[in-house]
Amino acid sequence: MSVLVKEPTIMTEAAGFNEETVRAASAAKNEPEWMLAFRLAAWRTFESMEWPKPTDEAWRRTRLTGFHLDNFTPFTTTSRQSARAELSDLLQTELDEMESAASLIFQDGGVLFGETHDDLASKGVIFTDLQSAVTEHPELVQKHFMTSVVKPDHNKFTALHAALWDTGAFIYVPKNTKVELPLQVILNQAAGAGGYHHTLLVAEEGAEVTVVDDLLGGEDAMQSSVVEIVQSANSVVRYMNLQDFDHTAWNFMTGRAAMGKDADLRWIQVSWGSRLTKAFLDLDLMGQGGHAELLGIYFPTGRQHIDHQTLQIHRVPNCFSDLLFNGALKEKARSVYMGIIKVLPAAQKTDAFQRNGNLILDSSARADSIPGLEIQADDVRCTHAATAAQVEEEYVFYLMARGLSRAQAERMIVQGFFQAVLDRVPVESVVHKLERVIERKIGG
Amino acid sequence: MSTLEIRNLHASVEDTEILKGVNLTLHSGEIHALMGPNGSGKSTLAYVIAGHPHYEITEGDILVDGESILEMEADERTKAGIFLAFQYPVAVPGVSVANFLRTAVSNVRGYTEQADSNRGGVIGSNLMPMRDFRRELTAKMKEYNVDSSFARRYLNDGFSGGEKKRTEVLQMAMLEPKFAILDESDSGLDIDALRVVADGINKLATPDRGFLMITHYQRLLNYVKPNFVSIFYGGRIVKTGGPEVAEMLEERGYGWVEQEFGTGELVAA
Ligand SMILES: Nc1ncnc2c1ncn2[C@@H]1O[C@H](COP(=O)(O)OP(=O)(O)OP(=O)(O)O)[C@@H](O)[C@H]1O
Ligand SMILES: [Mg+2]
Repeated sequence: MSVLVKEPTIMTEAAGFNEETVRAASAAKNEPEWMLAFRLAAWRTFESMEWPKPTDEAWRRTRLTGFHLDNFTPFTTTSRQSARAELSDLLQTELDEMESAASLIFQDGGVLFGETHDDLASKGVIFTDLQSAVTEHPELVQKHFMTSVVKPDHNKFTALHAALWDTGAFIYVPKNTKVELPLQVILNQAAGAGGYHHTLLVAEEGAEVTVVDDLLGGEDAMQSSVVEIVQSANSVVRYMNLQDFDHTAWNFMTGRAAMGKDADLRWIQVSWGSRLTKAFLDLDLMGQGGHAELLGIYFPTGRQHIDHQTLQIHRVPNCFSDLLFNGALKEKARSVYMGIIKVLPAAQKTDAFQRNGNLILDSSARADSIPGLEIQADDVRCTHAATAAQVEEEYVFYLMARGLSRAQAERMIVQGFFQAVLDRVPVESVVHKLERVIERKIGG
Repeated sequence: MSTLEIRNLHASVEDTEILKGVNLTLHSGEIHALMGPNGSGKSTLAYVIAGHPHYEITEGDILVDGESILEMEADERTKAGIFLAFQYPVAVPGVSVANFLRTAVSNVRGYTEQADSNRGGVIGSNLMPMRDFRRELTAKMKEYNVDSSFARRYLNDGFSGGEKKRTEVLQMAMLEPKFAILDESDSGLDIDALRVVADGINKLATPDRGFLMITHYQRLLNYVKPNFVSIFYGGRIVKTGGPEVAEMLEERGYGWVEQEFGTGELVAA
């Protein structure tokens, strides 16, 4: 049974935005002609695409009511580097907490700070801001930047992103090269503005790298990010996207990994912040023997709305993909999980799993879970499961019978619920940080 | 020297009366075995003493050293010295044995109360020092035959029946209660594990501690000698005596109990 509600015509056209906005963004960065041409083409794509409608399957449960793109002016500034001591306490703490091979901080549309502890250059590793990469490594950027993994016309937001991208890291790890410590990227999204953060990670054959994207700030702001991971044969990538925006931020994300033969990926997707998040996350298994894990955690409180939509595509035989998203919800929070495992006819001997667990801490919170399978091969092992439960009273009693207060018991049970994902987070300082946020979120 | 006293206790669940006037007094240093047929209400009694919120007490009282504990939450009762070894310990995903036991021990030994007065009661702000806790846990795991790998494992998650029972004894050893209620700590154990659990109970059976030991079998009582044996039937204790009562049950079963005390009272037989 459905009730007809008159929706306001969904989204505002980007009234304040036009081709000049795109030219200005490019000019401020002194970009070569080819990048301007790329942006303008993307702008035309953006203009030709319709805004999402509530009748679109992907947007049925996540409405953009109240979102007006022209409220969020893009940056036309360029980088201004600071000394470490001039950074805010928050940013210094972020740097201090993680032992990294190198760090980059972005703010106000450009680089704010960068430091390198490891001799990355001598190994041929590139870890730089995308803006510099455009001039310093044009052949690599032209080859990989939004050309195959996430193309501009992927969706309306990626087209906009391609036209207006501002900050983001370019990471290139050459053949058989290993970066031991994580590479850390921090985005401090400026208040009130619109930001377009990009992560382009290229791991050549046999390369090994760990990258942490830390997304902060964003009061009354909008962020529309894209993550592209390109993995050649036998490469090993650990990627963490830790989104902790202000609860007033609009957050749109499209992340995708294209994996070659025997490539190994573990992607940790964390959604703590934002007023609304819509994240599309795809694993594309293109070479035999690929092994991919996509693990997510979220914990909306108040009126936060968090939506993850995932796709595991198996194109070739003998690949493995495992997806686990666990979320807890408080107060009037809302979460949506939609996922599809798609196994193409050639992809025999596929192992693909998908689980979404929801822990509902208040009866006013709501979690929707829509798992799905599209299987076109016959010799496969695929399972999916979705659960929504409250804190188990028998667990609480057991722990209280051991002397824990009700609050301590509930806290431990909620922490425990996230543990299945935390156990698989490969960087210890990140685990501690996530534990602290969970603690904070439980506490209110 | 302490006393746990159960006076004319009546309890129901969803309007069905399960406990129908239980009377029992347990002193420190005593081992009191409780035997009775399936469904007679033994676990219910254990839960009610431990403070399970699901049961409604309609009459009677439970006192520790003369003070009623009925108004106390389960954790307060544990701090007052009551321990329940569960018949069916639940598995709590993601909560490690060591992590939860450290908080439990810290609460029961008063570290947290110090925190309450010192630092405005921030939960977890004052735990037993990690080194001291580790040392004690490691020693007790060895003493009570629990493999040291269990400290990092998630509580009862994937534990075998026997491993769960041994972990319950380990927890009792860490929490050092005044009164322990052991609900079928011997069920599901193989012969060696039974001896391990029984040895553990005997080690903990010091003069300052009392035991209410629920069991179906004489075999546990061969290892752990009770001072008293009571027969639980139809929601109350119908007979109390020495070890000979258990031997009689082992020989004759419950048929005679029904003839003597049963008036169709067997709860949900
Ligand atoms: N939460 C509950 N809801 C409904 N009935 C209950 C509940 N708890 C206990 N009962 C009923 O109360 C009766 C007593 O159960 P209890 O578990 O105390 O028996 P027991 O003596 O421990 O049995 P056993 O020897 O099999 O362990 C049973 O008939 C049981 O079904
Ligand atoms: Mg029982």
